[in-house]
Amino acid sequence: MAPPKKVSTTASSSTSAITSALQDLVQSYKENTPKRVKIIDAFLLFIVLSGVAQFVYCALITNYPFNAFLAGFGSSIGQFVLTAAFRAQVNPATRSQFTIISPERAFADFCFGSIVLHFFVYNFLG
Amino acid sequence: MQPRLLSWLGIALTLLVAPAWAKSSTGDKVLIVTDAKLEMSDYSQFWDGLRSRGYELTFRKTSEDEPATSAFDVPSFSHIILLAPSAKTYPQDLSPQSLVHLLSDRTQPTNILFVLQPSTPSVPLRDLAREFGISFPPPATPLIDYFSAVSPANATSLLLSPPLSQHTAGFESGKILYHGISHLRSSNPLLVNFLNAPPTSYAADPLEPADAVVEAAASGGEGLWAGGRMGLVTGFEVLLGGGRAMWVGSLDLFADAATSIDGEATANNAYALALAAWTFQETSVLRIDAVEHRRISESAPREQYRIKDEIIYRIHVSKFDPTTGEWVPTSEIEDMQLEFTMLDPHIRTALKPASEEGWYEAQFMAPDRHGVFKFIVDWRRKGYTALHSSTTVSVVPFRHNEYPRFLSSAWPYYLGALSTSAAFVLFCALWLLGGDEEAKKKKTQ
Repeated sequence: MAPPKKVSTTASSSTSAITSALQDLVQSYKENTPKRVKIIDAFLLFIVLSGVAQFVYCALITNYPFNAFLAGFGSSIGQFVLTAAFRAQVNPATRSQFTIISPERAFADFCFGSIVLHFFVYNFLG
Repeated sequence: MQPRLLSWLGIALTLLVAPAWAKSSTGDKVLIVTDAKLEMSDYSQFWDGLRSRGYELTFRKTSEDEPATSAFDVPSFSHIILLAPSAKTYPQDLSPQSLVHLLSDRTQPTNILFVLQPSTPSVPLRDLAREFGISFPPPATPLIDYFSAVSPANATSLLLSPPLSQHTAGFESGKILYHGISHLRSSNPLLVNFLNAPPTSYAADPLEPADAVVEAAASGGEGLWAGGRMGLVTGFEVLLGGGRAMWVGSLDLFADAATSIDGEATANNAYALALAAWTFQETSVLRIDAVEHRRISESAPREQYRIKDEIIYRIHVSKFDPTTGEWVPTSEIEDMQLEFTMLDPHIRTALKPASEEGWYEAQFMAPDRHGVFKFIVDWRRKGYTALHSSTTVSVVPFRHNEYPRFLSSAWPYYLGALSTSAAFVLFCALWLLGGDEEAKKKKTQ
């Protein structure tokens, strides 16, 4: 993520400092992040929420059938890892570290990995 | 008219006589081995009683070699009565080893009734009795009891009331005249108590009856063969094969002379015949006819079950009815148990009588453990034939496609996986479209 443009130094209290820092963070994110990376971030957020919901359901209500929980939760984790890796490869800010791999190649890798992951997930879901 | 009347008479006679023809569940041939000294006519009422119940009696002296108890290792007789208490030696086919061999045969056991005399059980008989867990007091020490004696002058002739039992069903009530020896039973679980000595009785030389008591009193009661735990009549049942043996401490129990005392009838004959009925496998004889097992939802048996299957096990037991000579289904066993065993019993449950006569049923859930299991019924009760049945089945785990599917509790997980996939597809579409937009932007720039 890109660093915030300006840092507030005039805040009188720590809460207002945190609030303004967050505001800066959001502002900076809105302005400096490319649209495609925002799509990736939205996808990641959805996956995190889905994974947390499944974990809470498992912990509070039932873990039976456990294989279904493992499949569902594993699908969230696996998809998150693949997507995060994909994000690192296509984000202009970190792009310089992946000069060997073109963005198209990175997308193809991501799709292949995800399809294999979903194949395993549905096999294990029961 | 005449032949018809005769045939009617014949039928009527058959009907009258039939109930008295009891058959043993194993066979009718009886070999009676006697001492040379004994007079067979002294026991005629006992023989007549046996004959009236359909037994074929064959008599033989211990000095004779024929007829042999077995030919080519096949028993020639179903039952033996060894009425030879004082014989010093026995022929080869009646040696203790041969008798034990005959009794413990698994397919065709020979039942043996041992009758002892007050005076001296011979050495071979003493040794043989020890094999059964029965030991005798020193020679020439009959049972003495002044409280149940017929007369104070003759304290070795006792009037006893044997307890009523299922196993001696033919004997209903009454006193028997007992003149003989007592014995000590070991804790062998195969022994069946039929008659115990009176609590006030003891074994001693009848000429010096007080000496034994005085000697024992001097040594603190030690060495006196006394009390109610001493046995007079003891049965023994072989676990495998079901052969039965009976040890009776009184020869006179069977004698005609003991059927009445001072003109008053005793129950000796009825009791002797009841003892013979148990020994010759007429009473308390059970067998397993059929064993069934199946899943609760199916009607055919399976060779293998799945873990957590609901299984029904059924077993059919018959009891021999000596009055008709037939096997009758019986539901009178209340304490039969079924074990579902792989090395250890994983399940042990009661086999309850089912609605149909003779069937016992147990329903249980197979354990959550796969392997080779056995249905085991092992019912051993004193005096009854031991019932044993073992059926081997396998218990297998779920196959890959046998697990339950689409469980309502798993819908959040299904939704999680499905939504991740859908979101992935949506993301790919957006990504590709977004790429187009950027390309367009670049082109327009």
